[in-house]
Amino acid sequence: MLQLKNLDSGYDFLQVLWGVSFEVESGEFIALIGPNGAGKSTTLRTIAGLIKPMGGDIIFDGKSIKNTPPHLISRMGISYVSEALNLFTDMSVEENLMLGAYAVKERETQLQTLDYIFQLFPRLEERKDQLAGTMSGGERKMLAIARGMMSNPKLMLVDEPSLGLQPNLTYDVFEALLKLRKQGVTILLVEQNVNATLDITDRAYILEQGKIVMNGPSQEMKANEHVRNAYLGI
Amino acid sequence: MATKTSERPKTSVDLITRLKDNLPVVLVSIFSVILFILIGIKGGAPQIFNIIVTGGMWALLATGLALVFGVMNIPHFAHGESFMVGAYVAYFVFTPLNQFFLSTGSKLLIYSGPFIAIIAAGLVGSVLGIIIEKLVFAPLRHRTKEGWIMNAFLLTVGLSFILTNGTNLILGPNFRGIPRYFDVKPVEIMGAFIAVDRIVAAGIAIVTIAILWFFLRRTKTGRAIRAVSQDETGAQLVGIDLDFIQTLTFSLATAMAAISGASLLFMFQAYPTVGVTPLYFSWYVVMLVGLGNIAGAIVGGFIVALLQSGTQLFIGLSWQSVVPTVVMILVLILAPSGIFGSEVKGIQEQ
Repeated sequence: MLQLKNLDSGYDFLQVLWGVSFEVESGEFIALIGPNGAGKSTTLRTIAGLIKPMGGDIIFDGKSIKNTPPHLISRMGISYVSEALNLFTDMSVEENLMLGAYAVKERETQLQTLDYIFQLFPRLEERKDQLAGTMSGGERKMLAIARGMMSNPKLMLVDEPSLGLQPNLTYDVFEALLKLRKQGVTILLVEQNVNATLDITDRAYILEQGKIVMNGPSQEMKANEHVRNAYLGI
Repeated sequence: MATKTSERPKTSVDLITRLKDNLPVVLVSIFSVILFILIGIKGGAPQIFNIIVTGGMWALLATGLALVFGVMNIPHFAHGESFMVGAYVAYFVFTPLNQFFLSTGSKLLIYSGPFIAIIAAGLVGSVLGIIIEKLVFAPLRHRTKEGWIMNAFLLTVGLSFILTNGTNLILGPNFRGIPRYFDVKPVEIMGAFIAVDRIVAAGIAIVTIAILWFFLRRTKTGRAIRAVSQDETGAQLVGIDLDFIQTLTFSLATAMAAISGASLLFMFQAYPTVGVTPLYFSWYVVMLVGLGNIAGAIVGGFIVALLQSGTQLFIGLSWQSVVPTVVMILVLILAPSGIFGSEVKGIQEQ
């Protein structure tokens, strides 16, 4: 479904990714793990089209999306839930969600998805008239993930959903991702909370200093000595 | 990431703290209401109508500025030239059209002339906006966003020079005006006689603002415009085409300025530098309420009109520009982000 081929990327004169290659198959739940500054967010931002790659290629559904602008990538079915969330803070929860379905033409489909999202996240329905900027951190993460789902994406890129959240809220967010996964949505997750992430994902890629150093099924990764030493602190 | 929850105030105690937090707004509202009542007592209906007409027009111009700043982060100093173009288009459409319509003798045609002229000005304005955006701002935006606000500002100043002097070159410095749009007796409202032109101008301002408000709040494209002004990256991520929204916004703003230029043709004759006064006053408005704040710009337009009118009545006509300027300096000292405050996010953050 998604294929990165020798991807080089970065900001102006600072190259961050050096020949990153990996694959995500339809229906998989993949983790991208690595220390701070390894280039995890850069990888997601490059896939979403917010950064132009310096070299290599990105293939989605058989087509290269290397030079596609971000709004078209979003319309092709890739939904990026950024670390900064990028919510529309002066709009209500409902308006944020409806904008998530901006590219969906039929109003019927939009409303159906909205209904479904409200079933999944009842808290958002309770607060649908509240301004997004006045919600708590956990609710905002929920809203960002929900907004990302409103376009019925084929692939979701989720960046650090647990960042800045207290543990029980982190659990809520992970729960939400698992629900998504059960719906058959393909997810590429970047997370600092390596232990929990390896518990819920199928496979994991380890990114260090802009290069993929290791990959395999999440359970195997959890048993791997390098991963245990570097990320799990065992 | 802040994890603080701020609930909406429900009790009266919360209301008081909320009022305290918004002290500038409360003070300005009280001051405006008192001023309005005083003006009403001394000047009567004509003055009140004056406030509605000028206020509506400042609001129309200032919303354009607020939109352009909010969505594109452009401090637009060629906005007055859009007003000028509107005035010229209305003049050149209305004068021959009116003559022709008068020769037919049909009342319906004669009364529709001004509206045709004003709509034509709006259309030319929107096309001009598209051309300027595609020719000037889009290429810069695609090349670099570094130092965007300063670069964009300088571009608008350059544009203003070109449009003013180009008009001077082609059409000359002559004043082109009309005595009135509607050649009918003034209407009596509350014991005062008000020219129909003024009533129509006020109506056009209010209707245009109402349509814009509805468009921004209730339609998908309008929501997308607000989304871009609140979070550009977020807007791209949900599939909004930035180029389209930015061109549309600029076109809308130019069209609104052209409409106000056209509907005020009976007050401001068309000449190359006619846009200067409207430009300054609309900048007063957006600085007063906070850059990029659209709802604020509407209210602010009427506040500035109140100030102008109050100054005329109670201090003297020659102080008309002094008082708003003093208020502006006070606002910049006491509440630099404007009385309503506003957070504009966008290009400058990237």
